[in-house]
Amino acid sequence: MTRYVMVADLRRCVGCQTCTAACRHANATPPGVQWRRVLDLEIGEYPEVQRVFVPTGCQHCSDPPCVAACPSTATRQRADGIVTIDYDICIGCLYCALACPYEARSKVDEPVYAYGDDPTASETARFDPRTIGVAQKCTFCVDVIDAGVAAGLTPGKDRAATPACANACISGALTFGDIDDPNSAVSRLLRENKHFRMHEDAGTKPGFYYLWDKEALPL
Amino acid sequence: MAAIATATLVSPPRRLQTVAAALAMVIVIALASALYMEENGHWVTGMTNYVVWGLPHVFAIFLIVAASGALNVASIASVFGRTTYKPLAPLSGLLAIALLAGGLSVLVLDLGRPDRLLVAMLNQNLSSIFAWNIFLYSGFFAVVGVYLWTMLAKRYSRFTTAAGTAAFVWRLVLTTGTGSIFGFLVARDAFHSAIMAPLFIAMSLAYGLAVFLLVLVALSKLGGPDVPAELIGRLGKLLGILVAAQLYFVAVFHLTNLYAAKGIALERYLLLEGGIYPWLFWVGQVILGGVLPLVLCLGRRTTSASLLLAAALVVLGGLAQVYFIVIGGQSYPMSVLPDWVLHSSFGDGEISRYVPTLPEGLLGLGGMALALVLVLVGCSVLRILPTSLEHHK
Repeated sequence: MTRYVMVADLRRCVGCQTCTAACRHANATPPGVQWRRVLDLEIGEYPEVQRVFVPTGCQHCSDPPCVAACPSTATRQRADGIVTIDYDICIGCLYCALACPYEARSKVDEPVYAYGDDPTASETARFDPRTIGVAQKCTFCVDVIDAGVAAGLTPGKDRAATPACANACISGALTFGDIDDPNSAVSRLLRENKHFRMHEDAGTKPGFYYLWDKEALPL
Repeated sequence: MAAIATATLVSPPRRLQTVAAALAMVIVIALASALYMEENGHWVTGMTNYVVWGLPHVFAIFLIVAASGALNVASIASVFGRTTYKPLAPLSGLLAIALLAGGLSVLVLDLGRPDRLLVAMLNQNLSSIFAWNIFLYSGFFAVVGVYLWTMLAKRYSRFTTAAGTAAFVWRLVLTTGTGSIFGFLVARDAFHSAIMAPLFIAMSLAYGLAVFLLVLVALSKLGGPDVPAELIGRLGKLLGILVAAQLYFVAVFHLTNLYAAKGIALERYLLLEGGIYPWLFWVGQVILGGVLPLVLCLGRRTTSASLLLAAALVVLGGLAQVYFIVIGGQSYPMSVLPDWVLHSSFGDGEISRYVPTLPEGLLGLGGMALALVLVLVGCSVLRILPTSLEHHK
């Protein structure tokens, strides 16, 4: 089996938001919509305060509440764990957005571009009109993964089969790969480091892990 | 009980035309508003990616919840055997159908892709409470439609009790489903609670009866039967009891949250510090929609006017309550990582601001107007109304 996950090393993330920009470029998300956000958090009390940057977005949960909530079967989960949205079936009710504990979903009602009324060449090439009026979120760059796997590449190892955010990260904080492969980078990182997932108490079993060993793990 | 004489609504033409024209105008404006929002996108509304359900949902949910409660009078007659209410049962059924149609119209027009309604019906996800509700709403039309039919077609009247019982059960399940749309949301502290289902049932009983009272009296002004003060008095007393039941569930919901440390911040926001939401709760929902109607309905000196005022206050308080639940609950920030202080350039961890815009309100009012037009049309073409309610004296 294959189960794709993302690992974010919070000790390495510098909050540059290059992943956000790379995601926006790769998926032509409009201004105001970030499929890969970076949260700026403080932990501790003065004078022992630490600043931590937390990349987030769709967690591609193993038990995703959005899939259960979607009335029209538009939101589904693939065998490899990636949660997808069929834009042709989504009715835009956004019940999934209410159900998501990670605020990972957005809706855009008309094409909006980064620089005025006209799209850039990149936006023209990448904009998907089917995303208008329906829910949208991070896809783990599923089209890139599928094309890469079809070409015999390994997601997380070969850049041509890896999500844009992980490719773009300047500090190596984001690592993508197959957690069911014991030799993958993500498996090794999770074996060797303390880690947690967001809202584990909700039982959603996110496919997004955070490496963090400086303080007690937030649960 | 003697056979019930019924008739279609025969109104002074000018009065009926004026009312119908006014309602039609509201509907046309609502459709224009929906088209405007559809053409321009939801950015012309107050909705954001944090507050994804806005004022149209408030109207839609109010109407859907009230639809279930509008069946109260019919249930009293058919299920609980109080035959004196039989003459009003057809109006009760018609109003229930009309309110649901009005609410669903608003809901559908507020979807991101209203053109895909059929797609949603053909691709139902049976694990989704939202999808269950599509089934429950469709079924409500069918079950109450059959119930109405058995009441209007005399030769099928022997099935009325069975159909009425089915409609009674169905409406309880329907409102359970509507409440569970919120109650099942594990991710949202303001919604996730098993009490949402019974709370919504209590809300529906109060809202529906209040709307029924107002519509009944309005119809009497348009040529329907005179409504005896004794009937208003009895229904008003029942309204008071239902308002008290609703307040009880509200109190239990908030006290349960306040009992646990994790719910205190949420309650502090909703009931004290959350800007408009504490006002909506204390002034709109509790005082205007709860305490005042209680005093008016259950006080020693009640008049028809005071009871109708109470019914109007229940409707206003109900709208405030649904706004408080739906939008107040969404505006409260979700905790990303407990005990970590969050700053975000994307608005994460902040209170989500929502200011409704005019088109949203107009669309919602259109749903109400549609429900009233359907009642008027129904009463005008079908023998819905009794010729007299004198037996209530």
